[in-house]
Order: sequence, then structure tokens, then C-alpha cells
Amino acid sequence: MQTLDVISVNIWQILISLINLLLLFLILKHFLYRPVKKMLEQRRKTLDAAYEAADAAKTEADSLKKEWKSRMRSADAEAKAIMEKAEKRAEADRETILNETREKADQMVRQAKADAAFAYKKAEDQMKQEIIDVSAKISEKIIGREINTEDHHAIINSFLDEMGEDHDGKQ
Amino acid sequence: MKGKNHSFKIKDILLLLGMILPLAAGIVIKVLTTPASDGIEITGARIFFRLKLPVQDLLITESQVNSWLVMISILFLCLFLTHGLKEKAEKKRQLIAEWIVEKTDDLVQKNMGPYFAGFSPFIGAMLALSAFSSLLSLLGLFPPTSDLNIVAGWALLVFLLISYYKMKCGPLHYLKSFTEPVSFLTPLNVISEIATPISMAFRHYGNVMSGAVVSTLVASALQGLSLLLLRWLPGALAKFPLFQIGLPAVLSVYFDLFSGCLQAFIFAMLTMLYISGSFSPDEYNAYKARKKRTVTQAKGGC
Repeated sequence: MQTLDVISVNIWQILISLINLLLLFLILKHFLYRPVKKMLEQRRKTLDAAYEAADAAKTEADSLKKEWKSRMRSADAEAKAIMEKAEKRAEADRETILNETREKADQMVRQAKADAAFAYKKAEDQMKQEIIDVSAKISEKIIGREINTEDHHAIINSFLDEMGEDHDGKQ
Repeated sequence: MKGKNHSFKIKDILLLLGMILPLAAGIVIKVLTTPASDGIEITGARIFFRLKLPVQDLLITESQVNSWLVMISILFLCLFLTHGLKEKAEKKRQLIAEWIVEKTDDLVQKNMGPYFAGFSPFIGAMLALSAFSSLLSLLGLFPPTSDLNIVAGWALLVFLLISYYKMKCGPLHYLKSFTEPVSFLTPLNVISEIATPISMAFRHYGNVMSGAVVSTLVASALQGLSLLLLRWLPGALAKFPLFQIGLPAVLSVYFDLFSGCLQAFIFAMLTMLYISGSFSPDEYNAYKARKKRTVTQAKGGC
């Protein structure tokens, strides 16, 4: 079988080889680069979509968090307000109850004082009356006659008054 | 679902067979057409077929057939790699396919700029064809790259592309570019323009061919050496190829494996540099704007 020389030039062979390279270029373009690029593009798209979804979910979560935070804050404020209100009311209640009690106590004291004064007065009067009566009886017995009750009263009263003043002054 | 899986696997096997069978066919052809002789000789490709054509006879040689076999193999390789592509990469082959595409894209982007981004399949084809052609010698086949005609065809295509991109800014601009920087350098410019494809072709061809020549010379020298040393042994033992065991393999690793891939890379690199150097997008845009202006002026004149 014939062989070529080590160095030989043949135009047709050169052309065939040129066309071979072009053919292989087309083969690679169609069967390797196009499908791979298509797949890469698709992957890029799905990744973009996934990222977008993740971003959307994050923003939603953020907004929800913010909302919940604000809600919590308002709830806190409300609770505080309620507590304050309750405290105020309790304070007011305490005040009124205290006032009432004080009033009552004062009244009772006053009543008691008045009662005591009244009793004192009454006892005084009674004692006066008794002294008068006793003195009148004693004087009757001593003198032996009826004294004018009216005059007698006046004398004793003045005496007792003097005594009472003396007594008050000592106190 | 199971039937689908089954057909998927069958298709896989068919594609793999499509990759391997051409190479096996190449080996079979080689074995059938090689005459039985133990002599080591340096020749070009075998001629299988001769067709009468006007300028020169069309010769279908071993190198043509082998490069077609390589192309078929690459076609099936592509089909195999892209078989069952999914958005979520499940298979190793998909990763390999993506790696190839991304690497060549990167290479082209870096060396040629974004204007030539569409060149990545071309550069990929060039790399694949050149590297696989050179690597055919590992199978004991005739590497098409050690035939000048094959590489010259690629270099011619590159030359055409260079010229096309230089012409893009108008034929006048193209012709004027030869007289730069000084007009008396025109012959030198023309020579360097023509020398580009020739040097590319001869660089690639010469490297692969010289590798084969050196390998052959070393192998025959080792054969002589072992004959010389074992001459005194009786019978067939005297012809025992003692030194031909192992040693040529080291050379093969360098000349076939390393040099083949390196030459493919160099060829692709030079292609990228020449093509991108022959064209500047700025100049082209300026040319287009100028042309547009003249057109509108002509219309206004009418």
C-alpha cells in the first residue's frame, strides 16, 4: 500500500481538514454547548426564583415581627395603664375609706365628748340640786322654819358657782 | 418509571459504544492494512483511496480517516456527557460537561474579550480535535496531527478568520494596515501575514511529527543495541527485544501525552491571540458610525 511522503501538501486534504474543524465546531456547539448553556440558564432562573421567594419570605417575616413587636408594646402599655388605673382607684378608695373612717371616728369622739359633757352637766345639776335640797333640809332643821325656796336657790347657786370657778381654776 | 430507567441505561451503553467503536475500527483498519514487516520506518499516512480531481488527486489517507473517527468519537462523547442533563447535577458526567463549557468560556473571555464570547465552541472544538488526534498515537494509530495537510487546514481556517475580522473595518482599512507603520515595510507586513498560518501549521505538525521520528529512532537504536548484546544467544532468543521493553514508554509519555496536549493548547492559544489581535471593537464601532454618517449625508444630498 502506498504512503504519503513525510511532508506533502494536498489542497483537497487541506480543504477536507478545514471542513472537519468547522463540522466539529458545529457538533460541539449543538450537542455540548447549547444543552449545557440551556441547563445553566434554567438553573440560574430557578435559583433566582428561589432567592426571590426567600427574600419575600424574609420581608414578610420581618414585617410580621415588627407588627408583633408593636402589638406587644401596645399590650404592655395597656397593661401598664390598667395597673395605674387600678392603683389610682385603690388609692382613691383608700382615701375615701380613710376619710370616712376618720369622720366617723371624729363624730364618735365628738358624740362621746358631747355625751360626757352632757352627763357632766347633768351630774353637776343633780349634785347642785341635791346640795341645794340637802342644804335646804339642813337649814330647815337648823333654823326650824321654812325658808323661801327661791331665795335659798339663789344663794346656793351663787355659792356653787363660786365653788365651780374655784374648782375650774385649780384644774 | 422503571422502563424509562432501563431505556436510559440502554441509550447510555449505545453512546459509550459510539465512543469506543470508531477507535476500535481505527485499530482494525490499521492492523488489516499494515503489511507484515518488522522494519521500523518513518513514513507519512497510508493512502486508502485516490480520486481524480482537477488540480490534484484527492487522497483519502489514514490521517483523514482517523480524524473522522476522532470526530465521531467526540460527537458521541458530547451526546454521552449531555445525556440526562438536569438542573440539579446528579451525575459526574454533567459536572464534566459543565466544567468543559465553563473553562472554555473563561479561557475565551480572558484571551479574546467579551466581543468574541461566541468563539468558545470553536476553541473547544480546536482543542478537542487537536488533543484527541495527537492522543490517537497512544492507541498505536497514525495521529492525524502529524500530517501537515490536516494542521494546514486548521491554520488556513484561522487565517481566513483573521482576514475576515481585519476586513470588517472596510477593505481599504485592511489594505492600509499593511503600510503601517512605514510604507516601505509593506513587503515585510505581507510576509508576516502569510507566515502566520504557515508557522502555526508547521509548529503543530513539526512537534508531533518530530516526536514520532524521535520515538522511532530511539526504538530502532534500542533494537540494534539489544541485537548487538544478545547476538551470542541461540535461536529466537537472539532477537529478544531487551531494551525495547519499557524505555520507549517514557518517551511516549512525553511525546504523545504531554506534547500532544501542550501543542493543542498552544495552537488554540495562538488562534485566540491572532483573531482577537486582528480586530478591535472600538475601531469597528468608529467605522460603523462613520459609514452611517456618510449614508445619511448622501440621503440628505438626494
